Amino acid sequence: MNDQEKSSGQEAVLCLENICYTYEDGTEALKGVDLNILRGERLAIMGANGSGKSTLFLTLNGIHKPASGRVLFCGGPVDYSRKGLLDLRRKVGIVFQDPDNQLFSASVTQEISFGILNLGVAEAEAQKRVDQVIEELNITAFREKPTHFLSGGQKKRVSIADILVMDPEVIIFDEPAAALDPKHSAMVDEIIDELSAKGITVILSTHDVNRALLWAERIVLLDDGRILSQGTPEEIFTNEALLMRTNLEKPAILKIYESLCDAGILSRQLTLPRSADELQKIKRGEKLSQIKRQY
Amino acid sequence: MFIIDKLAYSSKLRYKNPAVKAAFAVGSLLICVGARSFVISLIILMIMGGLTVLSGRISVLRYFGLLMIPFSFLALSTLAIVFNLSEQPLNLFNIPIGTVYLAVSQNSLREGVLLVVVALASVSCLYFLTLSTTMIDLLTLLQRLRCPKLMVELMMLIYRYIFVLLDMASAISTSQKCRLGNKDFMTELRSVGQLLAVLLIRSLKKSSLLYDAMESRCYDGEIRVLNEYRPAEMRDAAGVAGYLAILIVLAVIL
Ligand SMILES: Nc1ncnc2c1ncn2[C@@H]1O[C@H](COP(=O)(O)OP(=O)(O)OP(=O)(O)O)[C@@H](O)[C@H]1O
Ligand SMILES: [Mg+2]
Repeated sequence: MNDQEKSSGQEAVLCLENICYTYEDGTEALKGVDLNILRGERLAIMGANGSGKSTLFLTLNGIHKPASGRVLFCGGPVDYSRKGLLDLRRKVGIVFQDPDNQLFSASVTQEISFGILNLGVAEAEAQKRVDQVIEELNITAFREKPTHFLSGGQKKRVSIADILVMDPEVIIFDEPAAALDPKHSAMVDEIIDELSAKGITVILSTHDVNRALLWAERIVLLDDGRILSQGTPEEIFTNEALLMRTNLEKPAILKIYESLCDAGILSRQLTLPRSADELQKIKRGEKLSQIKRQY
Repeated sequence: MFIIDKLAYSSKLRYKNPAVKAAFAVGSLLICVGARSFVISLIILMIMGGLTVLSGRISVLRYFGLLMIPFSFLALSTLAIVFNLSEQPLNLFNIPIGTVYLAVSQNSLREGVLLVVVALASVSCLYFLTLSTTMIDLLTLLQRLRCPKLMVELMMLIYRYIFVLLDMASAISTSQKCRLGNKDFMTELRSVGQLLAVLLIRSLKKSSLLYDAMESRCYDGEIRVLNEYRPAEMRDAAGVAGYLAILIVLAVIL
């Protein structure tokens, strides 16, 4: 891990050292997790249901205190005192999977203002921030509606605004696309892309291999409370044995690309295509070089 | 109850200051109950009903439907006042039952009708408030009136989670029906019992998830939020004051 840090010149914003966590009923949800999360990176956590993704997230912002192991934030171990936890949580925000477990108020404004007021920001300033976030996430059209009349996608946007308003350094999305239609999940994807463009560290869990291939810089595979493997999407998704073991499909683009290569239509490239567009580009590039060769 | 909640959000008076609306409704209510006058109650009923129907995007029929909800309770208790058991026949009409009469006097009839009218007028005052003011605004108002913070916070969470639990309950009930959970009375009874048990367990689970989510946003035991409180317009406040003054004068004269 230290090598990676040096080579990319990035510091680790969060660092997990041999984390174990057991629920009250004896379920061992995390069994020794080591993970460095680099500042500004786009990290996707993948793994089957019950593999411990949500539990991992809750240890990252101090809701769960690990039974053993250490969590480091910006190099220093997390201080589990009241004040230490508040400091951690203002910098590490989680957008929960089900907005109904996150939205506690019937009013959109009340809901979004909760976090920022807890940071001790004055009301006038908070109002400005809330209005700004509402504008940014296109919530204006339904900001006067009570949360129980909002659609799933609208609730999701409010729950993202909840966190954005606190201006965290790290934002964690627990299955951001769960129960959203394609249009709304594209909208959420856009928001996530904007965040990482701004240099915010984004961690998300997803079951969508195509999305992970396109978006992530690094993928961590969790399996039964342990890290099975981590690496770039290309490394992960070309490892057939690994995919088998974790019940993950190979992304469609890679399947098509490989069958095109096998059929001799394309020649293998150094960089694999991550999206349909990139595959098109490779195809066009090959055509071009063929034409050049003919002349 | 849920239809009332829905209507409050679409009322034309929704964005008026809640304190003014509350003063209007509660003031009228107090005068109505205090005066116990047929005329004043009718005036209030007309004004409240008219305002609610005009501003609330609600049809007259539906409004009457809502008024009729308490009416059935009211009618039953009024019957007891209108009819007397008496040994002598009374002046309006009498039904002999053995040695006594089930009798109605002019007085008891007037009492009964007055009771109905006063009660309906009072209900119309409260309907005006609930049909024009959202729960969110009412809670903000309570907070500004220095209601204990804990109580307001509880009401806020309860109001939000009524709808979440209701969704959950209806989903469970649907899935029970899909598996013939209501095929006969005994099965249905058992299904309802199971539904309640599951609902309790899930709501406990949900509350702990909610607590985690709130802690993630630096919750420290006190819910601080920005309330959208719209200041009262002079015109509305003056209007309400004038209206209440006229009512009081009328009540004194009549
Ligand atoms: N509150 C809890 N009490 C006891 N056990 C729990 C609790 N929450 C989760 N678990 C258990 O911990 C393990 C990890 O659960 P977790 O929710 O972290 O998985 P996940 O990867 O997020 O799954 P999913 O993809 O379904 O969201 C599971 O075996 C689960 O049953
Ligand atoms: Mg989960």
